[in-house]
Amino acid sequence: MKEIPDKEILLFKSCLVNVEYPGVESSTRFLFDKLGIEYIVSEKQSCCTGLGHYADLFDQFSTTALAARNFGVAREEKHKNIATLCATCYAILKKSANILNKKDNVRKEVNKIFDSSGISDLKYTAEDMDSRDNIFHSVEILYNKADEVPDLVEVDLSGFRIAAHHACHYCKVHHKDTIGNVRNPMVIETLAKACGVETVDWYDRKTNTCGNGFRQRYMNKELSFSITAEKLLSLKENEVDILLHMCPNCQLQFDRSQKVIGESIGVDFNIMCLNISQFLALALGADPYKVVGIQTHSVPVEPILENIKQISSY
Amino acid sequence: MTTFKIGENTFKLAEIIIKDLKASENLGILKCIQCGMCTSVCPAARHTDYDPRGIVKRVLDKDESLFTDDIIWNCFYCYSCHSVCPVNNSVCEINQILRQKAIDIGKGKLKVAPFSEYAESYLECGLGAIPDDFFDDLLKDYGSEWGEFKDNLEDIREELGLGSMSLPDKDVNEINKILEKTGFTKRLERVRRCKDEGDTR
Repeated sequence: MKEIPDKEILLFKSCLVNVEYPGVESSTRFLFDKLGIEYIVSEKQSCCTGLGHYADLFDQFSTTALAARNFGVAREEKHKNIATLCATCYAILKKSANILNKKDNVRKEVNKIFDSSGISDLKYTAEDMDSRDNIFHSVEILYNKADEVPDLVEVDLSGFRIAAHHACHYCKVHHKDTIGNVRNPMVIETLAKACGVETVDWYDRKTNTCGNGFRQRYMNKELSFSITAEKLLSLKENEVDILLHMCPNCQLQFDRSQKVIGESIGVDFNIMCLNISQFLALALGADPYKVVGIQTHSVPVEPILENIKQISSY
Repeated sequence: MTTFKIGENTFKLAEIIIKDLKASENLGILKCIQCGMCTSVCPAARHTDYDPRGIVKRVLDKDESLFTDDIIWNCFYCYSCHSVCPVNNSVCEINQILRQKAIDIGKGKLKVAPFSEYAESYLECGLGAIPDDFFDDLLKDYGSEWGEFKDNLEDIREELGLGSMSLPDKDVNEINKILEKTGFTKRLERVRRCKDEGDTR
């Protein structure tokens, strides 16, 4: 398995986490602090272009140039191990690093732009960033510390049926760098099990896309929802209470659109959606509103609060 | 059936795609034996006429009508095909490249125009945002609680101990300079104009 760092980490902010599930960022920060992971957040870091990139609006060269700038920021901040909160940031940054390392003409062109823009200090040298050794999903950073989680658990969440949705842009884009088997990924389940809960390890459609499909959710909604519905029906069949995520776009699709999809096919799904960092933070005793941010969710997460048992009260 | 002349480079379209900046290293289009693994795992193929195997066949047949065929816009970019292909081909990447060609020749601009505000937000504060044009439709689907949450976003972020979302002015200026020089700002203007005029050229 690839080597995963626990220091000099730039926690890479995500546009969708920012505005839809900010609790994912605060939960991750809470966990990094608890697990002794050394990291910073930089106000200079720009968005990866992800949604715009995969809506075909941004061209590859522009996305790559902006990634080079963010790599320069990480280097200047002396935290060149990037940990993303979103699967699409992860895929885009890895691809950009590969292009910058392997295509001399692109790197030269980007550096020329940086020179003439007064940011020569951010110029990119080949191999500055290694796609495999420097760019991670934050869930991988947590996964690396899974053995330390059991001793830190304060809240018993074992009363729920739990399944995971591993994001396509984590598992499938750079599949040779994905932890475990991309046809049955278990990164999220491994972390959940570390909190002492059972998980539904396989269900039909487990590796399916969430159905968001970037432009599809907005321009081709019925198709988008029909794909999401397939997965929701399989989760319902498996009596899943909580679906765990690692990408805000997937979480958005399953949480925000769940009710309207359910109404259209006459099924009451009521499946709670949490990012794995939010779930772990809850288990480790984080405040549901001031850290985990469950007040921003569409499918109410309050049933978890009603059923959680404090381990210390035993 | 496509008929090729003797000596004609039948792989011209495949080669254009392979050389594109978006194409992964050693993209295996020319190794495709039409096994259909891609189609077997494709969510769009399950629900529409879109067929990834067929897309590769047409690329290998130098079928340039793909640039104007709406079918290329059905891909979800989920990379399922990409992750199972035994010869390192990626219909997902092929679609991305075909759509860029469609934007270059005109027709694709109208397809991406609804998302132009995402990039405008990026130029304004270094952060993309879902275009406002979608807001009413999303509100209908997500419900009024979502709208209320959006009104209180800044307060909730503060409660969670999170800082400002926008970048400092200096960094936003850097980003604007970069995007002007990559040609993106002009590209965005052309897309925007297309949206305003409803022009499909």
